[in-house]
Amino acid sequence: MKKVWPKVRRNHLFPQIPPPQLVESDEEVALEIKSKQMTINVNFLQALTEKMSPEDALQALLDHGISHYMYCPWDFNTHLMLYSEAKKVLRDKRLAQKAASYFMDVVANTYCVKERETKIPELYRHLPKEGIQRILALLYQVIWGIDLGARGEEESIKRLSRIPYLEKRLWKESIKKFAKTLEEFLQKEMESEQKSSKKAQNPLGEHSIENYTLEEIDKGLREFASSVDDITEFRETVEDLKDELAAMGYTVGGMGRGAGNPIDADLLYYMKLAENYTLPIKKLPMEKSGALHPHSHSPWEVGKPVQDIDPWTSFGKIMPGLTQTWVRREGEVFGEMEKIPDCLIIIDSSGSMTNPRERLSYAVLGAACACNAYLKNSKRVAVYNFSDAFRGNKLILDFCKEKESIYWAICRYFGGGTAIDLNDVMYLLKQSEKPDIFIITDMQITNLEKLIDFFNSIENRVTAVHIGENIYAARFREGLKQKNNVSLFLVKDKEDIPKIVLGKVREYLSSPF
Amino acid sequence: MVLRDGYQERVRRIYRFISENFYLNRPDLEVKGEKYNSALLFGILTALYGGKELIIGEPGLGKTTSAEYISCLIYGIPLGVIWGSEVSGHPEQTEEKIVGRPDLGALNQGKEVVVWSNFVQLPVKIVDEINRLPETKQSMILDGVDRGNWEYLNEMIINDEYALFATANYQDRGTNTIIAPLVDRFDVMVESRHPGPNLAFYIGRRSRFDNPLRHQEFEERYHKLLRSQIPYKEKLQALEELSEAFRDYLKEKVGIESLSKEERFYIRKEMAQMPLDLDANAFLRMVLAELSFCHRYGQKRSVEGCPEGCHYTGYLCYHVKNCASNRLPISVIGYSQALAWFLEDDEVDLEHVRTVLPFTLAHRIQWRDSYISKKEGEGRNDPLQIYLAKEATEEIFHRYTEQRDYLLDALAIASRAFEGEAVEPLDGDHPIYEEIKKEIASLR
Amino acid sequence: MKNPFEEFRGQSTRSKGKELPLDRILKAKEETLNQILKGYENLLKNEAKDLVWLMQYSTVIKAYSIAEEAIKGINYAAEDIEEFCYVLDKTDQVPYLITGPAGVYISALCNHAEEEEIVLRLQDVGIKINLLGYRLPEGKRLVIEGNVGDFTGISLEGGELVIEGSAKNYTGAGMKKGRIIVKQNVGFNTGHGMTGGEILVGGRIKGLGKVVGGKIYEKGQLIFPSDDYRPYYF
Repeated sequence: MKKVWPKVRRNHLFPQIPPPQLVESDEEVALEIKSKQMTINVNFLQALTEKMSPEDALQALLDHGISHYMYCPWDFNTHLMLYSEAKKVLRDKRLAQKAASYFMDVVANTYCVKERETKIPELYRHLPKEGIQRILALLYQVIWGIDLGARGEEESIKRLSRIPYLEKRLWKESIKKFAKTLEEFLQKEMESEQKSSKKAQNPLGEHSIENYTLEEIDKGLREFASSVDDITEFRETVEDLKDELAAMGYTVGGMGRGAGNPIDADLLYYMKLAENYTLPIKKLPMEKSGALHPHSHSPWEVGKPVQDIDPWTSFGKIMPGLTQTWVRREGEVFGEMEKIPDCLIIIDSSGSMTNPRERLSYAVLGAACACNAYLKNSKRVAVYNFSDAFRGNKLILDFCKEKESIYWAICRYFGGGTAIDLNDVMYLLKQSEKPDIFIITDMQITNLEKLIDFFNSIENRVTAVHIGENIYAARFREGLKQKNNVSLFLVKDKEDIPKIVLGKVREYLSSPF
Repeated sequence: MVLRDGYQERVRRIYRFISENFYLNRPDLEVKGEKYNSALLFGILTALYGGKELIIGEPGLGKTTSAEYISCLIYGIPLGVIWGSEVSGHPEQTEEKIVGRPDLGALNQGKEVVVWSNFVQLPVKIVDEINRLPETKQSMILDGVDRGNWEYLNEMIINDEYALFATANYQDRGTNTIIAPLVDRFDVMVESRHPGPNLAFYIGRRSRFDNPLRHQEFEERYHKLLRSQIPYKEKLQALEELSEAFRDYLKEKVGIESLSKEERFYIRKEMAQMPLDLDANAFLRMVLAELSFCHRYGQKRSVEGCPEGCHYTGYLCYHVKNCASNRLPISVIGYSQALAWFLEDDEVDLEHVRTVLPFTLAHRIQWRDSYISKKEGEGRNDPLQIYLAKEATEEIFHRYTEQRDYLLDALAIASRAFEGEAVEPLDGDHPIYEEIKKEIASLR
Repeated sequence: MKNPFEEFRGQSTRSKGKELPLDRILKAKEETLNQILKGYENLLKNEAKDLVWLMQYSTVIKAYSIAEEAIKGINYAAEDIEEFCYVLDKTDQVPYLITGPAGVYISALCNHAEEEEIVLRLQDVGIKINLLGYRLPEGKRLVIEGNVGDFTGISLEGGELVIEGSAKNYTGAGMKKGRIIVKQNVGFNTGHGMTGGEILVGGRIKGLGKVVGGKIYEKGQLIFPSDDYRPYYF
């Protein structure tokens, strides 16, 4: 290992992974990767050394492991993407996991064979060739042009060999073709696993969520949330991996130990997506104290006043080049960050608004951005989620700092009529000192006039974001045009909501209260 | 081929000695399969290379201590003398306290004679809490160390070797900050970290009184010599002789062989001769391209924002506000060579550059808010600036691995084009390809 | 002036990685696809001026003969046809898509392919292509996984056409012999002008056309000829 590892590292441009460990195991698996740590099964290696040199075997295994890290899948986001695309075709979690795993193996191996001097072909020559491993060996024979001792013909090999495995930008389509072609073999493998109650083992290790650290998982989910077409795709994928995520200690609120709450995929989606729109933590402002005090010295020149001369540093002499004079500065004290107010989010979840659990709701995303920004500055957030409030279609969350509860409140969807109960709003406003208000709605509120009157009567900073131009919005604008503390934004492109919200938050956080 | 003349081993022994006895720490860096503490490693490299290091950290975590011990052992100067030569950062510091002052006796007789400070005379300079110095004084020190020249009352001292260690509080607090043009002059920035509760407990148990790096007699002789009015050149020679004697004492007392001036010069020469392999070379060019390129405005400028919808939003040029200075490649190459020398490698490779790069970048980059806000919540072991620099390095490295062969081809073709061959530069998505084209076009 | 790229001089032939058979396969695939695309563009140039194509008996026949001419000399396999279908879905590779000529072109490709059985996996193709299976000859079996558009299997000439999904209107119109199996539903005017052969629909038939001969089954039940549906005489 000491001889082979540095050589392999160099070949792969020095990946930042810890040196692999050797373990003795009875499993029929040569290599395992958990949170970047590779472990090589000594027993398996010894069995291989009857057919090939131990150095070559070890090099091949390490090449395989490192190219998963360096090339495919590289990160958890790519892993999720491959799994998600495979699932679209295969419609079964376990089949999709297998397909993604085998695809990653083919890509990683082919990359190594093409770009590096590797003993992977020799390794495969000596590995068992049953079931899908035989199909893959046949495939490798065709695409690498090397005899691996696999025999037989398969119609699907022709299709499989036409997939551009090394074109990363085409992986999304490639895995679908790969999965579709391998479907029957994957089914057979699953059936035989069910019959024998023994899982078919990939000799070069399975690919699962355990390959990644919690930080990588967190980052991967964030990137995946931005990359998917809609929330259902994210939800489906995360639901499939819920148990594994929970087992690793990953929760919606963040990473941590212990079981925590079960993962709500929709909440997680908005949380991760909102992380792409965050503001940095506000720095503690410095303010001038108004008092001058001696700060530093500067050389005295003829013509400058003499009252600030420091006789000690001037060695008792008054002459240019030697004499030093005090420079006075205003002192600085910490600013009043603690006076940043809390935030009340009023979100419309009536029937005319998008159901956030069915499609991406920019209204919810905007609310999530506001929530994140205030929480980051250690302020509290309250939520008033309404549809037809007078019929009970409302949710009130008092001011708190629990992110999960706030998101749950924001994501709630009633889908009914639209009427806001101002008593609820007044109640919430009393729970905090002049909180900022963010209201996101399409303005089709039945008691809009009352709302206008209400906003006219309060001095809180109000940001109203409304979707689409209509007479109600025009009425709202007209009714509040005299109020300096109310900003109204019309959003034509819903994608602008998070930017608008952030812009306003940024302004609020940097201006004096 | 690196000469295996034992200097690396001596330096490693110094590293181990400090690590085990004076600056107890936990390794936080791995390179070529070996683990090191970044503050200590880069401190030693700074002392050997003659660089400028900014050490940040919480109060009391050994920022100044690490620099003092490294200076003592690499330069063979007693600890008490090092202490006496430090400049502490506070607003009342004057040029007279930092650089030199007139001899008051001679001044009263109408003669201008300069009494130089120890800080200026010694090759290794430590400034504590540099950010508390007024900007004019910060600039004065950095200028002096950059050039090795110190002037006062029309007299001048020229240092033939120098290294600077400056400590500062975290740059993101509400204290004074070091302004960008000044912070750019530092080669590297490292964090001096908490060693963990167990080592911290052990530090607390150690005796404060028995420090083998102190020697009263040597220190007195040093101070006497430094105070004397003999010409600086002769003084340096005498200091070196004293240093030799102190080094013999160290070898006898603690078994550590410090380095003589000649040896340090020799090491620096060896370091400077260390070649860069092609990967390291190409990767660094890629980094510099991403940190200086602007498709719309010609180059990055801190006064010009990045427009939305730019094609290059996937690259670092979109996430940074300022342009990489020319000091950056000097620092990266210098420290990479130093690291490669330290590890007894034959050439500088990608791993050396990737290890060094974040520490040379961290203090120089001004990140856009959007990039900071995305990353600041992520779990990490480093302070935010260093973490962001490490993330940026990995991002660029990933891009490099994807297009390495093509980039090397592009650079090879550029070489031929530069020499007049009628070849067209290769196209590519990355800023480096545009920059290559600009170079070639400027010739034609 | 110093050459800033000096160190890279002579590195052009540095290891670019080996050339694998995979590269050759993909290159050949790319070339074949380009030839097929060129043929399709030629067809459009001739037949769909101003991007308008009228679905008429004569235009279909003419388009088919131009398509046959266009594909002469191209060495392709069933997978290439499938690839072409995928590419049709991507507007960045195909400047314009008109499903009529596209269907005729694909039919020509299928009819003249070397394989006797062709499987086209079109589940992920967003568009529903018309005129697939046009004049499928005897001895040929074409299986399409996914849904298809109008005029599927028209003028079938003895081949077997299997649609794993649904088809739209005028399925099997004018077919003379052969078999069309649609696993799910079909639209209106099914079997319009059909004179022989069989259409077997696993799901629902929205409506029959003016059927002359042959047999039509819905969910295993013979519905033509029957008491409710008698042969039509033009």
